[in-house]
This record gives sequence, C-alpha cells and structure tokens, in this order.
Amino acid sequence: MNYTREELIQSEATMNQVRNSIYHLARFMDKNGVSDIKERLRRMGKNIARTYINYWKPTQVVNISNLKDYITTIYQKVLGSYVSIEINESEKLVIVRDSKCSLCKYHYEDIEVAGCEIIIGMVSELITQINFISKDSSSVFLEPFEVKESRTHGNKSCIQIYKYKIGGSN
Amino acid sequence: MGAFQWLMKKITKTFGRSTNALFYTLLYREILKEINEITKNEEDSLIILREMGKRAAYESCERHSAIFKFMPGNPKKILDYFEILWVVVFGKELDDYSYEEIPKEESKYNDYILKISKCPICSGYGQDKEDTFNFMKLKDKETEGMACGLCGMLESVANFILKVKRNDYRIGIVEQKCITRGDDCLQFICKIYDYKEWQEHTAVRIQDKISSHIRFEEGIEEELVQETKLDIIDKLQDVISIDKLEEILDEPLEGIKERVADIIRDKLNMEPEHFFDYFRNYEDDMIRIIGYLGTHLLNEYGGLLEKSLKNETVAKIFGYLYKQIKDMTLLFIPLDVIRDYNKLLVSFLDGLAPVEMVENIKLFSAKDTIKYLFEGVKMAFENLGIDFSELKENVWEELKKEREDELIPSEASAIDRTRENVPKIINLIQEILMIITDIFTLPIRVLISESHYGLKTAINSVVSEEEGLYGSIRERFDNIFDQIQEIRR
Repeated sequence: MNYTREELIQSEATMNQVRNSIYHLARFMDKNGVSDIKERLRRMGKNIARTYINYWKPTQVVNISNLKDYITTIYQKVLGSYVSIEINESEKLVIVRDSKCSLCKYHYEDIEVAGCEIIIGMVSELITQINFISKDSSSVFLEPFEVKESRTHGNKSCIQIYKYKIGGSN
Repeated sequence: MGAFQWLMKKITKTFGRSTNALFYTLLYREILKEINEITKNEEDSLIILREMGKRAAYESCERHSAIFKFMPGNPKKILDYFEILWVVVFGKELDDYSYEEIPKEESKYNDYILKISKCPICSGYGQDKEDTFNFMKLKDKETEGMACGLCGMLESVANFILKVKRNDYRIGIVEQKCITRGDDCLQFICKIYDYKEWQEHTAVRIQDKISSHIRFEEGIEEELVQETKLDIIDKLQDVISIDKLEEILDEPLEGIKERVADIIRDKLNMEPEHFFDYFRNYEDDMIRIIGYLGTHLLNEYGGLLEKSLKNETVAKIFGYLYKQIKDMTLLFIPLDVIRDYNKLLVSFLDGLAPVEMVENIKLFSAKDTIKYLFEGVKMAFENLGIDFSELKENVWEELKKEREDELIPSEASAIDRTRENVPKIINLIQEILMIITDIFTLPIRVLISESHYGLKTAINSVVSEEEGLYGSIRERFDNIFDQIQEIRR
C-alpha cells in the first residue's frame, strides 16, 4: 500500500533539487518561445492549491481579521517559512516579506522570473478556494499582484505582493 | 545502519531546505505537466523531466561538494549507501526497500535491482482532477514512470560522488516499475559502467531521444577531477570516508593502531616509530599539536570555522565557549576519567612510538594533558581570528555591555522570536552537555572491560544498539538535530 496524500501532509521533504528544477523549467520554457512564463508559474501554484485544499483546510473562512494569521500559517506549514506580513488598507495590498523563500535562494543572471511566482499563485488560490465554499460576505479574496523583490534577482529577501478585495467587491 | 551513515543522513536532512512533502510532490507534478504543455508528447516529457532532475541535482551537488567527499568511493558501496542518496534528493526516510544483485560476467561490478515499496511521488496520483498528466498515453513500455525526475536526481548525485572520489566508474539508474503505471512498487535498475562505456552510453543527445520538435539544451560535459585541483580533504578522503570510518568503528584498538601505522607508512613513507621519534622529549608539544591540528582540521570543512570567526560576535561567542568549556572540563569531568584517557593514549602509542616516549607520556598528570590540549586549541583559535585579549571575564558582562550599547534589537517581534528560541537553545545546550557526559564515560568502559577490548564493544556494552550507550548518544544527536532544525526556522 503506497503513501496517501493525507500521509504526505504529515511529513517534510527537502526542496533543494526541485527548487533548482523550477529554474531549469523556466529556461526550457524560454528556449521554446513561451512568453507568459510568469503566468504559467502562477498557474502551477493555483493547481497545487486546488489539490492541496482537499487535504488541508485549517479554517472555514478567511476574512480581514484572520487574514494575516492564515497567510502566516500557510507559509509556516506548507512552505516552512517565517514571514512578516503588512496590510496596506489604502491600496488594498498584502505585502509578504520572506527572507528564506523556499523556491528562491540563488541569484540567476539568466532568469527573469522568480520561483515564488508559484507561491503567490498558490497562496491566493488557497484563500479563494476556502472562501468560495464558505460564501461568507466578509470573506477576503486575494489575487497575485507582483513579486517585487526576489533572491533569484539578487535581492536579500523575497517580497511578494497580493491585491485583496472583501466579499467580492472592490 | 552504521553510525556515520545515520549521521550523514541527519546532517543532510537538517541543513536542507524543507517544505511540506505534499507541496513537494504537487510541485513535481506541476513541473511535469508544464513540460508536457510544451512537448505535447508524454514520452518526451518524461525524458525531459529526468534530464532536468539530473541537472538540478548536479547543480546542488556542486554547491555542496565538500560533504560528498566523505562518501564511499566505489559504485557498489554507493549503492550500499542508497538510503543517503535518497535522503539527499528527497529529504525523507526510505521506509522499505530491498536489493537484488544481478550477476554480470566479465565485469568488475554486478548490476542491482532496487525495489522501493512506497513512492512519495506517486502517492495518491489520479485522485484529484489536477492530476492531468495521462500515463495511459504512453505507448513505449520501456518509458520510465512518474519518478523519472527523482531517478535522474539520484543518478546525478551518485555520479557526482564517484567524480569527486576520482573513481572511473559511473552508475546508470533507470526506473523500471512505477506505482502510478500500475506496478506494485517503485523499481530501479542500477547498472555500473566503466568510464568509457559511460561516455558511449551518454553520448546520445537528448534532442535525438525526443520525437517532438522542441528545443532542449544539451548537458555540460562532465570532466574528471585533476590531481592538481585537489585540496587537503580530497587527499584525506580515502581515509575519512564514512565507509572507512565505520570500518574503524567496527575494529578494536589494535585494528585502529594497525590502520594508523599503515597510513603513516603509506602517506609519509616512514615507519611509525620513526615518525613518533620526532616528538621524543617534546611530548607536551605533541599533545598541543593534536589540539591545534584538530581545530584546523575542523576548519578544513569549507573553511567554515574561519569564515564564521570573521564575524566579531561569532568570534566572541566561540571565545567564551572555549573559556567556559576549559573551566568546566576539570570541574565536571573526574580526574580519573581524564587519567583513563591518558592511559588510552599510552595504550595507543605502545608499539607505535619509541619506548622512551611512551614512558614520558606516562608521567603526565591528567591536568597536564588537558592543559596542553586546550593550549593547542587556543593557538588554533587565535590563528583563526579570536582575540582572547578582548574577552571579558565572563559572557554575562559582555551581554550587559551590549545592552548598554543598545546593540540587541528592542523590536517586539525580534524579542518574541528570541524568547521563542530560548527554550530550544537551552534544550540544545542540555543535549550537548548530556552527550559530552555520555562520551566521557567511554574510556572507563574500554579500560575496565578486560574482555571487551575495543571501542565498539564499549559503545554497545550495555545491551544493544538501541538501548546501549551507542543508542543513547544517537538518541541525543537525534534531539540535537531536531532542535537545530527548529531553531533554523
């Protein structure tokens, strides 16, 4: 009897080689004329979230009051990262700073996209999936906005930015 | 499992970057899907995933090449240590696997079949609607399965080790059975090639293996390590690889003496007695040199110690630790125990060194030995950048000074993080102290057990590997690695 996905949730795996593979994938995409690499990485993150949510749902609804806690939980439990989170209410932005991003570690001169595009795709989709089911009017919805800084680009840490809206309205 | 194999696995796991295993598996799946999005050909996608895995692992190995120098240097032994390869690549224990040796006539090495009953990559594949890579579309039965990327990584790590160990053989690892494709287990066939065969085997370009019109950059030619590029660890690796260390641990004191004698004869081209004769009447210096060289040897591992000590704060911490350990050693460790170590040293040198030298060492008191050893360590530390004249009487005075200077950040989150880490650090220190205590009981066991004349016998002297001293030390190291992992987060 093989492992189940529920069992995998309980254990950890070393990311080093798969992290490197993401950049080989980006090079492969580039060599084959793929122009929307960033969007494809985000799509990968979304697909991961859609499967992941079937096995892990730490809360029933995400609203503005528990948004920070939920994001912190995702980064810690799924990605093994301790992050600082800032919410910019005027611009409706969530800014996450991760100094030990699990998908970005080394500076690649030849790569233009950051591996953590996958992360912003995944985190926003995890929240969307939870709130889509809950149908709560105070629910928060996240959209990937940008990876402002990344260790892949030579920065000291990764800064991932999400745009949020409450209850489906702007 | 041998002690060093276990230690190697622990180090690899603790210092790798871990995420949740399900995230790992799903990310792996997504990479395969994205490749297939481009190739539109399932067979080609698996070939490319395997190649990406090889390159990703090679890149990682090159960054951390020093650690692989301690691995065994021949293909059969590397396969014996397959669990380490698995942990390096996946960071997860290999639960249940078996070997089968396939005899190969007119060849130095046989082939091997490895059966792994549980495959994390295949786990639950097909249950979720995002599992869209369709294995049913594969027409060629020889095509590898879901774990081909992992297979490429394993092959790459194995061959990187053989390369740094300057071995002329290479290992080809191919996935033969895949759980996702309906097999009962994950199965690899491991074929061992000499370097010429390997070059022929790998000569086929990726571009020629794939049928779709996609472009894929060919791999970088692997070159053999030249003698001139070798550092001191390279030169010592024949002696200090984990398989050799485990052999030493399995042998009694006499075996170790023989081995040391062989090394001196082999590497220095002189008889052991002649070598030790250089230290006659300078026995105290010899002990200082042990402390000095021991510390410098630690630094040889990537110059880590020296690099760390360039940071003023780290240098101070090491300085205070040195002072603390030096003071505590004589307080906590009974002189009898240190005397036993002296006797152990005498027993070790007896037969290797000139009689006069052995007699001189017998005259040393326990305190003398410790003093000389610490003097040697201190000289090495000064060499590596610790300015002992700058240190205060104790670490608390230093901390007080830093607080007055406001060097410790007062930001609430930093304080919280520190508070969170304090119990872990205390636990870590406690475990280290306990392990030191455990280790210091070793010579007593060695010396008092007339019939148990050897290190390993002493280590295992209580009951068994799990319940004996060896088990106890191992358990403490497990705790230490867990604490380090927690603190690193």
